[in-house]
Amino acid sequence: MAQGPVPFSGEVTCLPLSSLPVNQKAEVTHLEMQDPQRLKKLIAIGVLPGSPITLLQRFPSYVFQIGWSQFSVDRGLASAIYVKL
Amino acid sequence: MEACCDHKQDKTSSGLKKVVIVGSPNVGKSLLFNHFTGRYVTVANYPGTTVEVSRGKAKIDGVSFEVIDTPGIYSFSPLTEEEGVARRILFKEKPSLVIHLVDAKNLERLLPLTLQLIEAAFPTILVLNMMDEARRLRIGIHQKALTQDLGIPVLETVLTTGEGLKELKTAVRHLTGLEAESPSLRGTTVNYDGRAPVSLEGALARIGESLAGEYPISKRSLSLLLLKGDEEVRSLVKKQEPLVLEIAEALASELKNHLQAPLEFEIASSLKRRAARISENVCRTKKRSWRSDVRSGRWGEFLSRLTMNPLTGFPILFFVLYGGLYQFVGVFGAGTVVDFLEGTVFEGFLNPFFVKVFSRILPWPLLQDLFVGEYGMLTLGVRYAVALILPIVTFYFAVFAVIEDTGYLPRLAMLLDRTFKKIGLSGRAVIPMVLGFGCDTMATMVTRTLPTVRERIISTLLLSLAIPCSAQLGVIFAVLAGHDRALLLWAFVVGLVFLFIGFLTAQILPGERPSFYMELPPLRWPKISHVLTKTYVRVKWYFTEVLPLFIVASALIWLGQLTGLFGFLIRGLAVPVRAIGLPAEAASIFLMGFFRRDYGAAGLYDLVSKGRLDGVQMLVACVALTLFLPCIAQFLMNVKERGWKTGVGISIFILFFSFGFAFVLNQILVRLGAVL
Repeated sequence: MAQGPVPFSGEVTCLPLSSLPVNQKAEVTHLEMQDPQRLKKLIAIGVLPGSPITLLQRFPSYVFQIGWSQFSVDRGLASAIYVKL
Repeated sequence: MEACCDHKQDKTSSGLKKVVIVGSPNVGKSLLFNHFTGRYVTVANYPGTTVEVSRGKAKIDGVSFEVIDTPGIYSFSPLTEEEGVARRILFKEKPSLVIHLVDAKNLERLLPLTLQLIEAAFPTILVLNMMDEARRLRIGIHQKALTQDLGIPVLETVLTTGEGLKELKTAVRHLTGLEAESPSLRGTTVNYDGRAPVSLEGALARIGESLAGEYPISKRSLSLLLLKGDEEVRSLVKKQEPLVLEIAEALASELKNHLQAPLEFEIASSLKRRAARISENVCRTKKRSWRSDVRSGRWGEFLSRLTMNPLTGFPILFFVLYGGLYQFVGVFGAGTVVDFLEGTVFEGFLNPFFVKVFSRILPWPLLQDLFVGEYGMLTLGVRYAVALILPIVTFYFAVFAVIEDTGYLPRLAMLLDRTFKKIGLSGRAVIPMVLGFGCDTMATMVTRTLPTVRERIISTLLLSLAIPCSAQLGVIFAVLAGHDRALLLWAFVVGLVFLFIGFLTAQILPGERPSFYMELPPLRWPKISHVLTKTYVRVKWYFTEVLPLFIVASALIWLGQLTGLFGFLIRGLAVPVRAIGLPAEAASIFLMGFFRRDYGAAGLYDLVSKGRLDGVQMLVACVALTLFLPCIAQFLMNVKERGWKTGVGISIFILFFSFGFAFVLNQILVRLGAVL
C-alpha cells in the first residue's frame, strides 16, 4: 500500500486503518498507545491485535466491520488502528 | 433473631431480590426488561437511550423480583457518565443475579465483559440473544461447552419472538434461590500473565492480600481496577484503606516501567485471548452461504450503504426531514389536526361550554377569569396543551420513533460527525439534537450520553438556543405557511446561529477535543408495536410534565394580572419587543414563552391569526422566539443537569442574544426593504 506504510516487527508491513483500501480484509496488528482515552475507546469496542477487520467507507467518517458488527469512527481513531493485509 | 438478617443484604428494602440486566448497546436489554416486567420502557436501536435507569417488578412462579435495566456498557471501565451509572448499579444494588445479555453472533467480542463480571464475583448468567440471526449466518454455538468453559449458566433466546424466554425465567427463579457462593455459580478466572514480561498476577495477589475492607466486588477485580487507576475504585479504597492504595500505586508504576504497552491494553489483550480461545472452542461456523459476508441481508446492507454515502445520504436526510418533519408533523399535524381540534372542538364546542358552566357556578368575574378568561386555566391552559401541543408532539415523537427503530440515527451521526466537530461536538451529539426537535427538555436529559463535560455544555446551550421543539416548530410552520421565503430564511438564519454559536463556544470552552465512535446496528423495518409504545411513553412523559405547568402558568399569569405584576413585566418587555420591530402587544408572547416555550409560540399563532403582523415581522418574531429563553421546564433541566452557574449563565446569554440578534436581523431586513 503506497499510503504511509509503517514497518513493524521486521517482515510484515503495517498501515493505519485510515490508509487501508475500502473492502480489503485485514487484521489488526497493534494500536497507537499515545492517547489513553483513544486507546480505551478502541479497547471497549473490541478492536485489539488479532481481530480481522474490513474498512467499508472513509468519508465523511470511517466505517469498519469487525466480527459481525459495524462501527463508525473519526479520523483520529481510525489512524490509531494499525493493520496488516 | 437479629443476626439472622445480616446475610440477607442482597434484598432491597422492599424485600425483593434484584436482577440486573447488563450488556452492550443494541442487544435487547430493554426488550428483556419489558418481557420480565410487562412495563414498557424505550427499546432503542442506537447506543445510549436508556438514560434513566428503569426498574420494574417481575413475578415468576409466584415469586417477585426487582428487575433493573442498565445503560449499555462495553466493558467494566466506563467511558461515559452513563456507562458509569451502569457500573454503579452493579456496585450499589447488591444484585442476586446479573444477566449479561449479548448478541450471539458477536459472542467473541462481547465475552470479555462476561469474564469481567465473573471476575468481580457477581452471580452472572450469560444470555445469548438474537440466536435467529446467528442461525441465519450459520453460526452454531455449543451451549454446553460454553457453560463448561465459563463455569456459569448459559441460555439462548430470541427476544423479539419470545423464544427461550420461558427457560430464562425458570433459570432466574432457580438461580436467585441459590447463595452467591455456591459452586454452580462460580466461574472461570483469567490469567493475566499471558505474554507480559512482568507478573501482573503477582501484583494482583499482593494487593488482594492487603485488602481487608468491605467491597461490592471481589478483591481480584478491585485490585485490577486499582492497578488501572480507576478513579471511582481508588476513592472507594482510599476511604477505607489509604495504605493499600499506596501499595497499588507503587505496584502500578513498577509495572508501567516494565511493560511496553499501557496496563489497560495488556489486561484487555489477555481477556481477548481468553475470549478468542473460548469462542474457538464453542463456535462452529457452518458452510457459508452466498450471503455469509452480508450481515443483515442484501437489501438492508445496500440501503445502509446508501444512507452512509454522502452523495445519497444527504438527499435521504433531506427527504426524511421534508417528508417526516415538514409534511407529516408540520402540514398535517400542526395544520390539519390542530385546526380541527382548535377551531372545531375547542372554539366551537368546549370553550363556550366551559364559559357557560363557570359563569353559572362562579358568580365572581375575577374567579371566572382564572378558569375561563383570556388566559384562563381551561380556555387557554388546557386548550393550548390539548389542542395545539398534544397533536404536534405526538406526531413528532411518532416520526422520531420510526427513525429510531430503523437504526437510522447512528448513520446520521456518522454522516454529520465532521460538521459537528467544528462546533466542538461529535456525531454522538446528533441524537440529542434530533430529539430536541421533539422536546428540548427531554433532549437535555439525553446529553448525559455524551462523553465529556465540554460536549454536554455546548449541546445544552445549543438545544436551549437554536433547536426549536416540535410544538414551536409546528406553530412556526403554521405561522409562516404560505410565506415560503420567510420559512426558508428562518431555517437558514437559525441554522447559521446554531453553527456560529457552536463554533464560538468551542473556541472559548477549554477541554479535550471529542473523538467519535459509534456502533452501527443493522438497518431494520420499524416494528409498529415498538413505534406505538415508544411514542406513547414519550408523549406520556411530555404530557405529565407539561399539562401541570400549563395550568400553573395560567394561574400565575392570572395572579400577575391581578397584582399588576404581569402588566409591569409586559411593559418592561415591550421596550425590546418594539426595538425588534414588533407591536408592543407581542411582549406578552415572550413572557408566556418563558413559562412554556411553545406557549409563547402559540401566542404568536393567535396574533398572526388576527392579522397583526406583516411578513418581516413574522420572520423576526419567529426567529426571536426560537432563540429566546428556554421554557421554565428546560431552564430547570439545565440547572439540574449542568448546575446553577451554567444553567443561569446560559439563560442570561440567551436573553440578550435573542433580542440582540432579532434587532440586527430586523434592521437588515427593513433597510433592504425586504417583503416576505
